[in-house]
Amino acid sequence: MKIALLGNPGAGKSLIFNQLTGLGIEVNRYPGSSVCLECGNVCYKKEKIEIVDLPGIYSLDGSSEEEILVRKFLEQGGADVIVAVLDATKLERNLYLFTQVTEFSPKLIAVVNMIDEAERQGLIIDIDKLSSYLGVTVLLTAASEGRDIDRILPLALGSSRIATLQVPYDHHIEAALKSLEKTLGAPRYKSLLALQGTGDDSMLLDAAGAVAHEIELRHRMSVRQIIATNRHNLSRKIAASAVRQGDRKKTYDLDSLLTRVFPGVPILIAILFFLLLSVFVIGSWMQELIVQTFTTYIILPFTALELPPLLERIGFSVLIALEAGLGIAFPFIFTFYIGLSLLEDTGYMTRAAFLADRAMHRLGLHGEAIIPMVIGFGCTVPAVMSLRILKTRREQTIAAFLISMVPCSARMVVIAGVVAAFVGIFWAFSIYFIVFILIILTAVVLSRITPGEQFGMIVEMSALRRPQARLVLAKSWLRMKEFLFIAMPILIITSIGLGLFQYFGVTDAFQQLVAPITVTLLGLPEYASTALLFGIFRKELAFETLAVLSGTADLGSVMTSAQLYIFAIVSVLFIPCISTIAVLYRQLGARIAILISVYTVFLGITIGAIINLLIK
Amino acid sequence: MLPSLREDYLEAIQQFSEKNAHPPRYDELAAARGKSESEVRSDMEDLVSSGDVSIVPEGVITLTGQGKQTGESVIKKHETLQCFLSEILGMDTSSASDEACTLEHAVSDETINRLDQLIMKQDGTWHRRWGRQGKQISTTQCTVDDYDCQCPSISDCTEGETVIIHCIHGRACAKRLLDLGMVPGERASIKRKLSNGALVVQVKGCDVALSPEIASAIGVERSS
Repeated sequence: MKIALLGNPGAGKSLIFNQLTGLGIEVNRYPGSSVCLECGNVCYKKEKIEIVDLPGIYSLDGSSEEEILVRKFLEQGGADVIVAVLDATKLERNLYLFTQVTEFSPKLIAVVNMIDEAERQGLIIDIDKLSSYLGVTVLLTAASEGRDIDRILPLALGSSRIATLQVPYDHHIEAALKSLEKTLGAPRYKSLLALQGTGDDSMLLDAAGAVAHEIELRHRMSVRQIIATNRHNLSRKIAASAVRQGDRKKTYDLDSLLTRVFPGVPILIAILFFLLLSVFVIGSWMQELIVQTFTTYIILPFTALELPPLLERIGFSVLIALEAGLGIAFPFIFTFYIGLSLLEDTGYMTRAAFLADRAMHRLGLHGEAIIPMVIGFGCTVPAVMSLRILKTRREQTIAAFLISMVPCSARMVVIAGVVAAFVGIFWAFSIYFIVFILIILTAVVLSRITPGEQFGMIVEMSALRRPQARLVLAKSWLRMKEFLFIAMPILIITSIGLGLFQYFGVTDAFQQLVAPITVTLLGLPEYASTALLFGIFRKELAFETLAVLSGTADLGSVMTSAQLYIFAIVSVLFIPCISTIAVLYRQLGARIAILISVYTVFLGITIGAIINLLIK
Repeated sequence: MLPSLREDYLEAIQQFSEKNAHPPRYDELAAARGKSESEVRSDMEDLVSSGDVSIVPEGVITLTGQGKQTGESVIKKHETLQCFLSEILGMDTSSASDEACTLEHAVSDETINRLDQLIMKQDGTWHRRWGRQGKQISTTQCTVDDYDCQCPSISDCTEGETVIIHCIHGRACAKRLLDLGMVPGERASIKRKLSNGALVVQVKGCDVALSPEIASAIGVERSS
């Protein structure tokens, strides 16, 4: 038995899923961020039931990844029962998707969620009327309070049926549907898609295309527009008769503050700054704790074992990688994710996107791109993964370059550990300043030379809500797992590789080889190149390796301030870490991954050399 | 002189003047109307006496204020009727034009205004194509999507205003906007407008944030 949850983004599907399955799964109100299918099993009356949480979509006949995925799922009858989740506060708009779902004639029940919020707004929903219109069982729930969630499964199993609701389309469209069915035997939903130019049956597409052209001539409107209007009209009719507006409690509209330039933009900056600051403070404290514990209880006992040198080397590399992973993942990335999930669950991120739209336009992007950028301050890997919310390849490419340059929390550690500690806090900020200038310059150049079209921002503002601690934690943990899953294996493998290199003396050869660059061009000690090389794993390893190689933790005593400054800025700009390269490759292909790597290496060395020249 | 003949003459003179940027002479008007020059000369005397035209030396016929007004109104009636007949009722262009020539003399101003509104409702892009400059009706390429209409875009509106969506240009973004309920005829209120033209628009009870370039693709009608 398989049940799938389907609905608009932000209708509360994931929250319902979470309560049904009890698994840690993410609730995301940012359009389209839970793209992979989340599945969970639950036992009901001694039967195993699989529950699938489909990504939130607005429509079934679009061309976005999520829409195609859900469409395929319905076409193939991916689930025995579909639970259509509707947002009670936006019933009319949510019914639009429902009218499309019925065309695939799955067995259905309708869950009208967020009834608590609707009550607060004074909306009264007539459940009998609604269910007679839709022709399916309707259930009112309030997932945030857990109200009536336990009735979903019994209803889905017991009283789901194929909806009787059918959209009355314009008579020309209806005629076309009939003739397509007669001549080619195409089902209604397929013909509707074909009329809008979607599908893979070329015969059907040709026939539908010809009819569609005629209809467009006659109506002076595109077929898409006619179909959408018909569906919206039906939804309006249903909503108008099933929803009554009672007394509305006056509530203060926070948006009057949040979406204005003033004080909206200062609030945005303050929130982001506070987020980064708290990640940094909490992160460094926790990191020290973890690294110390790890060193005392695991690394020292391990070295005390006195294994054969090769084995020791390999074991040591694995442990170092683990330490690195844990030392950065938990303190910085987890803290950051909690902050980010908090922001997302309040619904603030969509406001941030709106406010940032203008600034992002200057960079050849649009408002939604602020999400990956902000995530990039935590860790570049999930930032690159979140690039998929940008709609065109052009924007993804530009944003990928910029994200790879945004100082992530690991780079923050380098800046703090090398520059703030030994050179001065002012100089540490100057590095941020230089990096931001470079990001802007890169963006300006890229937005001119990157081919492709720009697609503006169309984002539904999610309602402002109080986040729930359990969900925020669950979501952060899920993301964290994703990070560990991608980054950990890469870290361990590269660490072993590098350990072996060191063992066989390859790193020394490398040091010799790049000495002209390190020493002459950048004015750094020879061993700095190895430290930079280690920075490829994770950035703050560059700092730690530097301390190990120079033989003292007091870097100020072995290197000049200028050298430390140059070292820090080069390692901040220089090549993204290996996990980033891997995920860039996965998301955008080899070409972009290589281009970004080469560009950042070039940029790092150039800027380092310029500063070296200036200081001399 | 028959009223319909008078109107036909005034229409023809106005049309000729617009097209050639100078008023017609007797022979040119005769050619345009398909009549003999002597017939036109005698008809013009009637029009001079009714105060619709004045003849300057060298036989150039110019319209007086009154004549010009009538001429223009007849042209508008003709255009509207022809548009209605061919585009909405689906008649072919030349017979629609012939039919319009007969109807234009009997039809009242009110009927024309209502027909005009009906046509506008059917399709906002109409007027421009069928306006003063383009007297030729093209029956191809007329989807709303790819035509830029004259109606103001939603980005021209101010914060707090409520408008009715009229049309959406550009296929790329149109789909998502349609899915979010921005279909022609839908009411939308502008909840926030930033100085760069980015908008928060409320449609069907949902707030939607739009980039300036997307907003400028949405044509609206201001409702009062």
